[in-house]
Amino acid sequence: MEKKRLDDHEAATISSPRSLDRFGFLVRPDASTSDGLVKSRSAQFERIREDRRVRKWRKMIGVGGSDWKHYLRKKPHVVKRRIRKGIPDCLRGLVWQLISGSRDLLLMNPGVYEQLVIYETSASELDIIRDISRTFPSHVFFQQRHGPGQRSLYNVLKAYSVFDRDVGYVQGMGFLAGLLLLYMSEEDAFWLLVALLKGAVHAPMEGLYLTGLPLVQQYLFQFEHLVQEHLPKLGEHFAQEMINPSMYASQWFITVFSYSFPFHLALRIWDVFLFEGVKIVFKVGLALLKYCHDDLVKLPFEKLIHALKNFPQDAMNPDILLPLAYSIKISRRLEELRQEYEKKNGKITQSREFTEEQTVQRL
Amino acid sequence: MARSDEEYDYLFKVVLIGDSGVGKSNLLSRFTRNEFCLESKSTIGVEFATRTLEVEGRTVKAQIWDTAGQERYRAITSAYYRGALGALLVYDVTKPTTFDNVGRWLKELRDHADANIVTTLIGNKTDLKHLRAVASEDARTYAEKEGLSFVETSALESINVDKAFHTILAEIYRIISKKSLSSSADAAAAATLKEGKTITVAAPHPNAKDGKPCCSS
Repeated sequence: MEKKRLDDHEAATISSPRSLDRFGFLVRPDASTSDGLVKSRSAQFERIREDRRVRKWRKMIGVGGSDWKHYLRKKPHVVKRRIRKGIPDCLRGLVWQLISGSRDLLLMNPGVYEQLVIYETSASELDIIRDISRTFPSHVFFQQRHGPGQRSLYNVLKAYSVFDRDVGYVQGMGFLAGLLLLYMSEEDAFWLLVALLKGAVHAPMEGLYLTGLPLVQQYLFQFEHLVQEHLPKLGEHFAQEMINPSMYASQWFITVFSYSFPFHLALRIWDVFLFEGVKIVFKVGLALLKYCHDDLVKLPFEKLIHALKNFPQDAMNPDILLPLAYSIKISRRLEELRQEYEKKNGKITQSREFTEEQTVQRL
Repeated sequence: MARSDEEYDYLFKVVLIGDSGVGKSNLLSRFTRNEFCLESKSTIGVEFATRTLEVEGRTVKAQIWDTAGQERYRAITSAYYRGALGALLVYDVTKPTTFDNVGRWLKELRDHADANIVTTLIGNKTDLKHLRAVASEDARTYAEKEGLSFVETSALESINVDKAFHTILAEIYRIISKKSLSSSADAAAAATLKEGKTITVAAPHPNAKDGKPCCSS
């Protein structure tokens, strides 16, 4: 107790009076007390293990990512396995740009971002400003009004809303951009957003934000069926209680788990998401339901909704949840369900065919 | 079938709608948990909360759906209007555009909600006195013209929040109880008669056996 007070005092005099977690989020005073002591015992071991991992990773990607493509071609399964274990935090920003294809976009379009930010005007400017302080409000980088974090967030979102005026700005995009900005520069974050939404490596995800939110609707359709097939008892229970995935899973897809999940878990999901695609979002969703299955099947409607928005801490442990997610096989079925959905609802039209040449030409 | 652990006479489903940033989520958290969060995140999709309270001597459970305000989200949120007996339509007294858009929200309700949905107009953020840009009288006149009740609130200072919810729940109660008196067939159309004397008036309740889910994507 005495020790604790001393520590608090020191921390207060050195920097900020509020305590932050290792990612820069404000820690509620009640959440940090005894937990920290327990963790410190294994912290040293963790650090040694992390150092070893970083060395392996550095070798794999080379200086500034120079060996990455070569390594990926030679040993794709090793890359996949290592990514699934988590990208070292100090290399995350770089690796994310390599695996998402955003680095190539950036190199092919010099000066484009600057032009979008400085010279263009966007119809969404007021909407973006309104939401800036409501995006990761508990993170130190985004807290200061008109501070560097809020300014970067505004710039990236504004640039994207100009870059693709059909998408413009939609609530939820800020969480994607915010998460990226904690790991890379504005310009890098912008191109990663482009890579994701326009589909540089995987299927484009702009349908999450286009009018009618067509891709959200498709994902929810697919997810509902996967729940029924993988967890039939729970699927039956959901049907009885009239729970559908739009009540709990829209946020999972729209923000790729960055809206309300513990940040360390969100990062681990993003590692895999950028490399393997949106499949992991479905898998993690199913894994969460599977992990909590026996509790969920007992709950009536209201408690069920609450539980689906507030998963217990142990379910959120990435080292438990992610292996469970990897063990769920859905690829083929996911594709079949997509085709089924398209047959019923028509193909999702993209805002604009995206090719690299066009990007350059248009700007 | 066993009743859930909470006893209530009526279950009313209410939706919170209105432009983004007008304070819908904080009105809900003030009403259901007596909490206000200055650093709240924008709502993505829909959120849900309940509170049980006494209305005209009856125990009423309010089941409230809070929706994302941005226009593009209506693709998801409008499904939640179905089966709702009440709508709290919120604008921000410091932002005239949010009041100007009230008409568009009423149209949304006409297009997607039940025809007899009870609607209350709420002017929120009255604590920001120096920034007020929508006069109470203008809003009241508008509400009267459209046949809506009208309350000004401050979720921050906890002013009139309970009153706003009470107003709409009482109004719903009056309509429901009148209906069940005049014709039980009518009442059955609007409400599902549960075992005992409880009337459930919302689709997504476990004991409501018939009817579609309140929302489908």
